[in-house]
Amino acid sequence: MASLTLKAITKRFGQILALHGVDLHVDHGEFCVLVGPSGCGKSTLLNIIAGLIQQDEGSVLIDGQSVDRLAPRERDVAMVFQNYALYPHMTVAQNLGFGLRMRDVPKQIIREQVLETARILGIEDLLDRKPRGLSGGQRQRVAMGRALVRRPRLFLLDEPLSNLDARLRASVRLELRHLHREIQSTIVYVTHDQVEAMTLGDKVVVMRRGKVHQIGWPETIYAHPADTFVATFIGSPEMNLYRGRLLHKDDRTHFQGAGFSLDIGGLQLNLGESELEVGIRPEDIAIGHGGTPALKAKIEMISDIGSEKYIHARLGQESMTIRAPREAAFQPGQVVPLTVDPDRVHIFHEGRRISWPAGSCSSSK
Amino acid sequence: MSRERLEKTIIQILRVMGLLVFIAIVAFPFYWMMVSSFRSLGEILLKPANLGLDIRKINLHAYYEVLFQHGFLRYICNSVYVSVVTVVLSVTLATVGGYAVTRLRFRGREFMSYSILLIYMFPAIVLVIPLYVMFSRMGFRDSINLLILVYLAQTLPVALYMLRSYFQTLPPEIEHAGLIDGCSRFSVIWRIIIPLSAPGLASVALYTFMIAWNEFLFAFMFLDTPEKFTLSRGVVQLAGSVHLSKQLVMAASVMVTLPILVFFLLFERYLVRGLTAGAMKG
Repeated sequence: MASLTLKAITKRFGQILALHGVDLHVDHGEFCVLVGPSGCGKSTLLNIIAGLIQQDEGSVLIDGQSVDRLAPRERDVAMVFQNYALYPHMTVAQNLGFGLRMRDVPKQIIREQVLETARILGIEDLLDRKPRGLSGGQRQRVAMGRALVRRPRLFLLDEPLSNLDARLRASVRLELRHLHREIQSTIVYVTHDQVEAMTLGDKVVVMRRGKVHQIGWPETIYAHPADTFVATFIGSPEMNLYRGRLLHKDDRTHFQGAGFSLDIGGLQLNLGESELEVGIRPEDIAIGHGGTPALKAKIEMISDIGSEKYIHARLGQESMTIRAPREAAFQPGQVVPLTVDPDRVHIFHEGRRISWPAGSCSSSK
Repeated sequence: MSRERLEKTIIQILRVMGLLVFIAIVAFPFYWMMVSSFRSLGEILLKPANLGLDIRKINLHAYYEVLFQHGFLRYICNSVYVSVVTVVLSVTLATVGGYAVTRLRFRGREFMSYSILLIYMFPAIVLVIPLYVMFSRMGFRDSINLLILVYLAQTLPVALYMLRSYFQTLPPEIEHAGLIDGCSRFSVIWRIIIPLSAPGLASVALYTFMIAWNEFLFAFMFLDTPEKFTLSRGVVQLAGSVHLSKQLVMAASVMVTLPILVFFLLFERYLVRGLTAGAMKG
């Protein structure tokens, strides 16, 4: 168990800037998830922490000590790879014990630790098999076991679930959570799946194009996205985002979008009438009267996913997605009034969030 | 249905016939060589075109004569020495070099990677005269170790190229896992790369062995003292000698050919691909 600190990590591959001054601190025993679209540099960052790639600038500290000059084997970290990267010429037991063997641990102790790890992961009966005889899920477990058996200071996981089918992924995700609670270790986990990020992470780091966009608790990131990228990347269905201007009228502020006007209460901003963006999550829109003057949208399509319904509607010249309970009985073509709570509206200026309503950025956990 | 079956049967028959013809073409000279080497000179002179092999009349005298009276025991030792040393050196150097150009990043890596094959583009015959002159002036000619050096120069480019291609098929994550698990670069090569590259290494060993074992041109040019002759050089010496007895040449030829065959059969099972099965998601 250890803490991890990254200071202004920068990495170039030729002309491409893969990482751009990344700062991050992960506490003892924290589960930190790096999330972002592919090519955002999250895997590169993980490889830099492991020491497999050398950063151009910046520094990696484990427990406050710089590890920049240490080889991967000297950093005492373990890594689980997306494609598992098991040693195909060794049995499962040898795969698990390899790291200990390389560290000259006595054979007897290796045996015990391999057995114990296999028991935790439920792969005791596979110990004598070779990786080629295992299913995807079993290989994934062996890969986890290989990291677990050494009890390293830091676990690095590079999209470990992305090669599993959807059902298995959900169950392994839960197991991971349990496992983390049990062994209380520091984990850095890379994924492009926002559901994994939100469900697993104590701390979520949203990245794009080599830059960190936001670091925070999952609920903070969801409730107070720092910019339009985070706002649309986290959350499914995506947040509705509209471009427009603010108009002040009779002490109230209206957002004037393309073909609609939205009352957002008493917001006072010194931005004049410059262009900005307004975001509303699909679940923050209620169908029914309430707002003055009422917004009206025309329903175009309804996706029924069983547990709830997504209603795709047209608001002015913009499209909108609304989350509705499964009992909701609407028909395409219907025109419905909408209510939006002004406190749930996100406002972005030049892509960045404007703190609103005041004081709501403090989050508790 | 019946038409389809008919077609399948015809194709099957054609395939078998084709294979038989091919085998006959390849195996016939070898067979004739074997049979002739088991006869006495008198038999060959009486019936030169006799292809039958009478097991009761197998005569190994030719082998005895070639081995002990014509110095082939010595030639075999020389050939084994040259080939084995060449194989060991070539495989070792190609492993390290091939790994370097595949995995390590250093200045001039691309250039080195491509220039490897460039060296191979020079035909041996172009090189042999200058090398002959050069080594003669330096006083290094007529040395068996010199031959090893030349064979190494000849086989290493292809060996490097083969291993480089093989290493490129190995997923780098396995090595990363090794590095994190506590390996140094060398132990990654030793404990992970080499076991996984057995097919590639076997092909390289086989290729190098065949070149070194069969090579004639350089052996012919560089070796003067009969004690230093390699097998192929010895066979030519024998064939060109005054008392041409066919069964002796045939016996000598069998001794040249057989080890390659044995080697191939030994290594053949390592040539199968797919050792990395199971490493990845599958």
